[in-house]
Amino acid sequence: MKVLSTLTVGLALTAGAALAEYPERPINMIIPYGAGGATDISARTIAEALGEAVGRPLIMANVTGAGGATGSVAAMNANPDGYTMLFTRVGSHSVNPAMKATLPYTLDDFRYVTVYEINPFACAVAANSDIKTMDDLMEKAKGEGVSYSSSGVGSALHLGGAMVLDAFGLEDAANAATHIPQQGGGAAATAVLNGTADFLCTNTSALAGFVANGQMTPLMVTTAEPVVGFDAPTAAELGHPELEQLVGWTGIAGPKDLPDEVAAKWGEWMTQAATDEKFVNQMESLGSIIDVMSPEEAREFINTQYETFRTLVDELGMRIEG
Amino acid sequence: MTLRTLQVRLGIAALLIAAFLALVAIPSFVSSPSNVRNIVLSPVFWPYVLTGMTALVGVLLVLTGRHETAELEDEDAAAPGAPLRLVALAGIMVAVMLLLPWLGMPLVTMLAFAATAFLYRTRHPVAAAICAVLVPLVLYAFFAHVAGVAVPQGEVIRLP
Amino acid sequence: MSLWDSLMAGLSLVANIEAFAALFVGIVIGVIGGAIPGLSATMAVALALPFTFAMQPVTGILLLLGVYKGGIFGGSIPAILIKTPGTPASSATILDGHPMAERGEAGRALGMALWASCTADLVSNLALILFAGWLASFALNFGPPEFFALILFSLTIIAGVSGESLLRGALSALLGLLLATVGLDLVYGTNRFTFGDPNLMGGLNFIAVLIGLFAIPEVIMMARNPTAHLGRTRALGGAKVTFADYRKSFRSIIRGSMIGVFLGSIPGIGAAPSAFLSYSEARRRSPNKANFGKGEIEGVAAAEAGNNGVAGATLIPLLALGVPGDVITAIIIGAFMIHGLQPGPMMFVLNVDIIYGLFIGLIVSSVFLFIVGSVAIRGFRFVADIPKRILMPTVLVLCVYGVFAVNNNVFDVGVMFAMGWVGYVMLRARIPPAPFLIAFILGPLLEDSFRQSMLMSGSDPSILLRGPITWFFWALTVLVVIAIGRSVVRKVPV
Repeated sequence: MKVLSTLTVGLALTAGAALAEYPERPINMIIPYGAGGATDISARTIAEALGEAVGRPLIMANVTGAGGATGSVAAMNANPDGYTMLFTRVGSHSVNPAMKATLPYTLDDFRYVTVYEINPFACAVAANSDIKTMDDLMEKAKGEGVSYSSSGVGSALHLGGAMVLDAFGLEDAANAATHIPQQGGGAAATAVLNGTADFLCTNTSALAGFVANGQMTPLMVTTAEPVVGFDAPTAAELGHPELEQLVGWTGIAGPKDLPDEVAAKWGEWMTQAATDEKFVNQMESLGSIIDVMSPEEAREFINTQYETFRTLVDELGMRIEG
Repeated sequence: MTLRTLQVRLGIAALLIAAFLALVAIPSFVSSPSNVRNIVLSPVFWPYVLTGMTALVGVLLVLTGRHETAELEDEDAAAPGAPLRLVALAGIMVAVMLLLPWLGMPLVTMLAFAATAFLYRTRHPVAAAICAVLVPLVLYAFFAHVAGVAVPQGEVIRLP
Repeated sequence: MSLWDSLMAGLSLVANIEAFAALFVGIVIGVIGGAIPGLSATMAVALALPFTFAMQPVTGILLLLGVYKGGIFGGSIPAILIKTPGTPASSATILDGHPMAERGEAGRALGMALWASCTADLVSNLALILFAGWLASFALNFGPPEFFALILFSLTIIAGVSGESLLRGALSALLGLLLATVGLDLVYGTNRFTFGDPNLMGGLNFIAVLIGLFAIPEVIMMARNPTAHLGRTRALGGAKVTFADYRKSFRSIIRGSMIGVFLGSIPGIGAAPSAFLSYSEARRRSPNKANFGKGEIEGVAAAEAGNNGVAGATLIPLLALGVPGDVITAIIIGAFMIHGLQPGPMMFVLNVDIIYGLFIGLIVSSVFLFIVGSVAIRGFRFVADIPKRILMPTVLVLCVYGVFAVNNNVFDVGVMFAMGWVGYVMLRARIPPAPFLIAFILGPLLEDSFRQSMLMSGSDPSILLRGPITWFFWALTVLVVIAIGRSVVRKVPV
């Protein structure tokens, strides 16, 4: 036992020694979604570029569950010392807060330091479907009705499907169309492939493979610019520029009381990381648009999207109370 | 204990669980939205089905159990002082959960190792003490540095 | 391009030391990762992923596949030695593997696990190479109604792992099904038994439940009687697996491999149900049924064949459709995309050299697995010689680290402890834990596919019988239930 106590004292001394400049030790980065997902790939890709800028290791920690809520709460409750940061995502930080009344956190519980990646959204159907255009889709929606798959209730795919149908003029879109939730984004795409659901709207990176392989037909992309590889009109071309709000994004945030110096540091690091050619190439090959926002821009961007979704959720009566 | 007592007791336990679920737990802890289109789609449907099946199994256990006559032999008899040691082990587990945020995982697991080995009255106290220090340290080194896991560090010490 | 040309093109891609070295290293990482409870094959693959970005596509993907295959086998090592499955897929291996270790036959059990794993791995790879296209299009016929029928059939496994009393097995399964309802509702997103705790919203972590149920009760039993093990032989002994053992279990191994290939090619099921199904099939057909669960070597063989049979087959939907079948293949698909490859039918046209390169690598991987596995068994066998009162605290500490690492959440450690006491009570009350576990895995799949079917049809139940696949599984379910009923009436083991 003597060995143990000496060891303890020794370690305690070194720990209390210095409170130097941030960061003086590795930073925990919480990824609120599972390994292999869009958030995870994005986070691990930027971590490499960021690690060089930070000069300390970034420890990636997937804390999965409840559509990103479990991980987000873990970050919200962490010490606001800048050593626990969170990857924020469209699902966990705009759709879910807009839809779920009982979510254990709000947007104000976090301090956003950046949004660095935008994923264009696209709507697609299976290639063997008789639906070929948005017009076909709407015709069917107003007639016999359509179904769409999603990665779960309160995901961007869930809201996105309803939002698109609503924009194109389907009355009471949340109830007139059937939402068939699946466990995760991969399963959502499979559901369209095997005919369980008629269509889905998700980030283009999740669809690129199926479109390139001729298994799915894209109907529309939501960005202002056309997306490479997606032979489909943009929302604006179809007369619905308001759908440009429907994009995926990934950002970084800390707990609410994150000090200003820390936030400022992150701003610098992100600017530096975004110039990393390898990172940009990898993300762009997955169909993402790299656009590093300052903390203020990020806050603004997230709020605007949240407000849009919130209004839509109230209009369509999609709010989850229980 | 006879098989008969066991089956009957388990049956009664199953019935109690089912009653608790049906009367208390499901109504108060499963929220179902008002706009559910069909009863089979309701979030409470599946829990109620399971509750019903639990009750059924409970009834069957009681009914079949009454005809059982076999005597059960206790394969793993308790050693003297067993209840005390079980309570102590539960105490160790609770202590691990409570102390983890403060002491950090390496230190807590060291203490837990030492306490558990002591509880088992190990024949090799020296080896146990050495292992109590080394095993958590090696695991820490592996998980934190090879696997890149954010092992919780306490406020007392912070390992490299 | 002819098959020969494709083969040659593939060979030219992998015929370098780098590709094979990557595969070998991958298997080593996998076996070690799989052998550490909580680290699991999934985590090992996720950890290896960033290192593959800089490699050639074939080299990188072979590394990941090596980790995957190694991990699935590696999980059986702690399952046999310390009753703690290293990876969920190896939970079925515990049922007979651990009793064998208790009897002093750990070496024999481990050897059989390895032989069965390698055989199943080979069968699975061959199925991938020969039938990928056909199986993939078959898998695409699996919508929610087919899934529901398949899962319903799979639940009949419970009868096979219930042990002495079917009713107590059913009770165990129901408790598992009930516990699996904790979390957010799939269709409405509302809370079920979460008590407002964000940690419960994601449901109980599967690995925490698994380890809590199997490993922690051992730690508790040790406190109940710290000297119970003295006098029982536990040392490893010289017992090794023999060719006669292998030949005796060969039918079960092949059957298990087939089950693995079938379930692996359908996205969304995974290796654990396959291992249990293979195990219960082997038991049902064995002349010494009564010995299953008490250390029957054929049980180990069947379980390991069932889970390794999945490993190659999950690549079928991945390569042929671009659909990931489980979490691990979802990570591997990420590696394809980072390299600008898009798995799917077009890949067989555009990148046929890569496909055949992978095929060649996979065939070799079974051999490498055998080599690495043999060394690993020798390395890990000493665990059986550690005094039990030192080993158990080690298991406890290992479980704390491992369960935390799965989801970086201290709450899961608490879940593990709590489930440990549940497992202890079940052990004392002679309620078998295996049905609980199977139900815990399959319950959410059953409920989800049922509700998805209802959503599809507008609550018309006839959709559950919509095609030949559903009819087949319903018929199978009815047959098995009748068989179970008859053996209950005749009071013979199920």
